[in-house]
Amino acid sequence: MTLNQVPDHVPPEMVGDFSLFTSPGMLPTPDGDPQAATACVHAGPPIFYSPFNTRDGRGTWVITRATDQRRVLQDADTFSSHRSIFASALGENWPMIPLELDPPAHGVFRSLLNPLLSPKRVMALEPAVRERAIALIDSIAASGTSCDVMKDFAFPFAVSIFLRLLGLPDHRLHTFVGWAKDLLHGDDVKRPAAARTILAFIDELAAMRREEPVDDFMTFIVQAQVEGRRLTDEEVRGIGVLVFVAGLDTVAAAIGFDLAFLARHPEEQELLRSEPNRIVLAAEELLRAYPTVQIIRVARKDIDFEGAPIRKGDYVSCATMIANRDPTEFECPDTIDLMREDNRHAAFGYGPHRCLGSHLARRDIVIGLEEWLARLPAFRIKEGTAPITCGGHVFGIENLIVDWS
Amino acid sequence: MHIVVHKAKCQGHARCWAQAPDIFKLDDEGYILPGDIQVEEGEQLPASQGARSCPERALEVDSTSAARFEPADTQPRAGEA
Ligand code: HEM
Ligand code: SF4
Repeated sequence: MTLNQVPDHVPPEMVGDFSLFTSPGMLPTPDGDPQAATACVHAGPPIFYSPFNTRDGRGTWVITRATDQRRVLQDADTFSSHRSIFASALGENWPMIPLELDPPAHGVFRSLLNPLLSPKRVMALEPAVRERAIALIDSIAASGTSCDVMKDFAFPFAVSIFLRLLGLPDHRLHTFVGWAKDLLHGDDVKRPAAARTILAFIDELAAMRREEPVDDFMTFIVQAQVEGRRLTDEEVRGIGVLVFVAGLDTVAAAIGFDLAFLARHPEEQELLRSEPNRIVLAAEELLRAYPTVQIIRVARKDIDFEGAPIRKGDYVSCATMIANRDPTEFECPDTIDLMREDNRHAAFGYGPHRCLGSHLARRDIVIGLEEWLARLPAFRIKEGTAPITCGGHVFGIENLIVDWS
Repeated sequence: MHIVVHKAKCQGHARCWAQAPDIFKLDDEGYILPGDIQVEEGEQLPASQGARSCPERALEVDSTSAARFEPADTQPRAGEA
């Protein structure tokens, strides 16, 4: 990390030494707690400049308070989402939709997609989600007294829900898990290769559904109209890729962090097992404590924000885990209280890009926890093992070996 | 008591609806219906809980007077966008 990465307009006293990529606890760490490790920023100013705060080593402004993050994320006229992250990794330039579009174009696609994942629609998907959870957990229970939650449950569960959404059979599950792993956690060779594979797959699926429509997400997309016309191939692919990228790792990580917490807190675990009606509320607190996404915006014009000279083109980071530990937003933010009420956490972001899959993600997490606690006895981290956690763009947990012998 | 709905700020988190589906009605996309909400006597608790659970601060509880009714606010307010 060298100081020459700090642009000239950033006053040296506004440079902070915190980074979601390089600070303590952000690199892969056994028994780490990267979300808690971000809370230290609340001892500092509401905004500072972090010289190394993206995967490719760019600097960003860091907004620490929930109320300021709300202001940034609700103001898409000043803070743009247009970044082409996925495409630029392939040397191309097209947006993931709706994530990398700004209003008003954003709203056109968002309105198209909202009904597909609305709270009511999610209720209809619920039986299939529960069936998958039960099948996976029953097979874990039948095969011993220990498992790796990530490999045996969280990932296959998240991927299987995604396949169901796309109307695809489960037999390709393992292929998909592999693609997702390479894309999200692979090196500089594996990531672009996985990206190309996923693109080809999305294109192929779209072509199939055009030829032979069925009742599923992709058929809806290829038949949909915006502003009186069909979607272009690039738009179809922008949507398909986003749903793949946004919905797999996030749900798997949430379930992993949640079960890791319960494995370490036997009293809370028993409370939820004996009173499962508390799980819905508890899941909100776990989303507050263990959110995974760092949101980034690009300033579209110069603006002075809480004394910071943000200039056109600067990156502005709104890390959900930082907002969720803001003491001016939450009472005792560092205490995990599974009965916390009025929990307006930021795990799904704020503003027009609020997670499209939030209603589904919430149900996935609740159902996953319900079935896990109902079907397995008291579990703990297996002796001699340590879950490895990491920070970054999307926080993750790589392994979680639990034991109920 | 009534609830002022700042429709333009609603981003469809549906947290209000999760608390009190009969008080906070959503459209087909999952966003709150426009227009302020008059809350019945016995429903004040779930109504204020629902309003407090909105991450966008789109719902404002007004307990001063049931009579003071404003037209639905459909524009973000200046300086607050
Ligand atoms: C616990 C799990 C999840 C978390 C923590 C999460 C978090 C987020 C966050 C913070 C954003 C806002 C990004 C931004 O403003 O730049 C977002 C957007 C999005 N998420 Fe999720 N997400 C989760 C699960 C899902 C699932 C299951 C799906 C799909 C089925 C999904 C689809 C999307 C989409 C399409 C967007 C873009 C929305 C837009 O730009 O309008 N997410 N998510
Ligand atoms: S909680 Fe707020 S943002 Fe969500 S639907 Fe209700 S009013 Fe809209």
